[in-house]
Amino acid sequence: MSTATQTTTPTATPTAVRQGSPWLIVTLREVTVKIRDKSFVISTLITLALIVGSIVVSGFMADRTTEATVAFENRGETAVLVSAANELAAKQDQKIVLTADPVASQDAALEALRTKNADLVLTATADGYSLTGLSDVPGSVEKLIADAASAQALESNAGKLGTSVESLTAGSTITPVLLEGSQERNSMSMVMGFIFSFLFYMSALIFGMPIANSVVEEKQNRVVEILATAIPIRQLLAGKILGNLILAMGQLCLFVGIGLLALSMMPTEIPFLSVVIATSGWFLAFFLAGFLILAAIWAAIGAMASRVEDLQQSTGPVIMVLVAVLFIGIYAKGTFLVIASYVPVISSVAMPIRLLSTDVPMWEPFASLAIAIAAAWAMVLLGERIYRRAIMQTGSALSWRKALKLED
Amino acid sequence: MLEVQNLTRRFGERTVLHDVSFSVPANGMTGFVGANGAGKTTTMRIIMGVLKAHGGQVNFNGSPIADGDRARFGYMPEERGLYPKQQVLDQLQYLGQLHGMSRLDARSGALDLLDRFGIADRTKDKLESLSLGNQQRVQVAASLMHHPTALILDEPFSGLDPIAVDAMSSLLAERAATGVPILFSSHQLDLIDQLCDNLVVLADGKIVASGSAGELRDRAKSTHVLVTPPDAGWLREQPEVTVHDVAGPRAVVEFASEEAAQRILRTAIVRGSVTEFAPQRPSLAEIYREVIR
Repeated sequence: MSTATQTTTPTATPTAVRQGSPWLIVTLREVTVKIRDKSFVISTLITLALIVGSIVVSGFMADRTTEATVAFENRGETAVLVSAANELAAKQDQKIVLTADPVASQDAALEALRTKNADLVLTATADGYSLTGLSDVPGSVEKLIADAASAQALESNAGKLGTSVESLTAGSTITPVLLEGSQERNSMSMVMGFIFSFLFYMSALIFGMPIANSVVEEKQNRVVEILATAIPIRQLLAGKILGNLILAMGQLCLFVGIGLLALSMMPTEIPFLSVVIATSGWFLAFFLAGFLILAAIWAAIGAMASRVEDLQQSTGPVIMVLVAVLFIGIYAKGTFLVIASYVPVISSVAMPIRLLSTDVPMWEPFASLAIAIAAAWAMVLLGERIYRRAIMQTGSALSWRKALKLED
Repeated sequence: MLEVQNLTRRFGERTVLHDVSFSVPANGMTGFVGANGAGKTTTMRIIMGVLKAHGGQVNFNGSPIADGDRARFGYMPEERGLYPKQQVLDQLQYLGQLHGMSRLDARSGALDLLDRFGIADRTKDKLESLSLGNQQRVQVAASLMHHPTALILDEPFSGLDPIAVDAMSSLLAERAATGVPILFSSHQLDLIDQLCDNLVVLADGKIVASGSAGELRDRAKSTHVLVTPPDAGWLREQPEVTVHDVAGPRAVVEFASEEAAQRILRTAIVRGSVTEFAPQRPSLAEIYREVIR
């Protein structure tokens, strides 16, 4: 070994013995550089605001009552129709309240509409009614009044024919029955599935792409030669992947956590909240495995490129896979979804979606997660091999085949 | 002491290093010269472990070099590069930490060097905002800050202004005085002449000369300047004398022996007068030109 170094400058310390782990220093740098990046902080805050905002807005929308003042020429049957519509809304639990505004004539009703004292004008016509709005007739109100009118007409016509509504409509009842899940649960799983898919797609891009970028940047400006002589290359790669993984998981936990918190604080009751929370836990675990696989691929791609511009071409296939994950998350059903829930990377969203929509046996997510972790392990080893060999290669960009054939 | 033994390296069919051996003694600086493409950078990259050798080995202090040794070396690669978008001090601190320094040591060490290079006021700036010369100073600081046990510097002086060259030279001399072997390549022969105690000359992947400056000078053919008015043309007819150049009374000659030199001097005095008779020590630059020819 070398002898201790003596230094001439009094402030200088002797060469330090290696302290701590080099990968930890690399990890810390990756994290601190990113956290200090203003655009990253701003985009995170904006996304958080969007998540909370959309939850609050949709909650508010669901809770909101539509109110409309309906003006009409004061004749018996029109007034009855408006109150019948209000009764129907209350019976069907629709949040619509109509205020009747009987006026002297049709012209007075239209005048009330123009002066905005009324929102709608209801007029009896030869074959029913017309509903007039200033620039818009709300669909929900139109449907409500139409339903009330048709019930009214049905009753009066039945009376004229000497029969009853019940006997006229006998045998026409349709009751929806679902073999899988319930209506409510399915729509919940569709929404959550979309959110999971989108979060995975976004995080994998936001934190995966920088791995490739920073690898090729270090390669391009040769700082990697200094790094590689200071610490083992494996530790450099480990620190880089770990740093971005921590960032991705941190941001994801923040998004999911704040989102769930906002949901639980909403006044309206959210169905299946416990299922959503449990599945969110699974999603984070699956995300970890999926992200590791992608991180190894991103690192290898970065190492094989020779300039940042090369990435535009070589990252194409990975982005395609991510888009596929996004679409499978939104559209996959049945057997296809079951198969997808066992394919690493894709399983990161497919399995959580299955867990949301149906009751999956407990062993299935564990088995799928084990497969994903095994794939991640293999991919990290392969990625490390390519990274180690390709990172020191100068000259043109390498293909996967060439990179695997490289000697040290 | 750093020893390179029988290094061989091929790129495809092309052999770029043939059996290269030389040593870098622990005291003093060793200049590494050779034309572009002679194999200097390849040799340095092999020493640093960035590239594998196809034959031969590198020894440090008597035993084969290990990655642990290299981790404590200072290395300045041929193609410069740090992080363009990171602050100067931050990245020096990072590199220092990777070399095993504590955070605080790395920070103070970096500040110290930046101060010596006169760019202490730029520590918070992003590297890319510095001029190329100042970026180069930061690069030098990156290779020196962890008090390396050996220095491998590929063209450390290129792109530096005279003030920075002086600062760099005195820094390197200081480090050399503490017993750190220093190998640096350069195309500036006058600098090599001024700084180096040892020289290694590489041509087409082969060592054509290596050793201490003194040895190389002694080994080189020595010439004499003889000024003997009115005209030195008569020297051409003398035996045991090779005349390199005659201009009026001034001649540059090479004597076959010390006796021949004394005989010619006596003859010159008898023939007229001698205003100058001096042996000429070749500069390392001249030695380089001589061996490379």
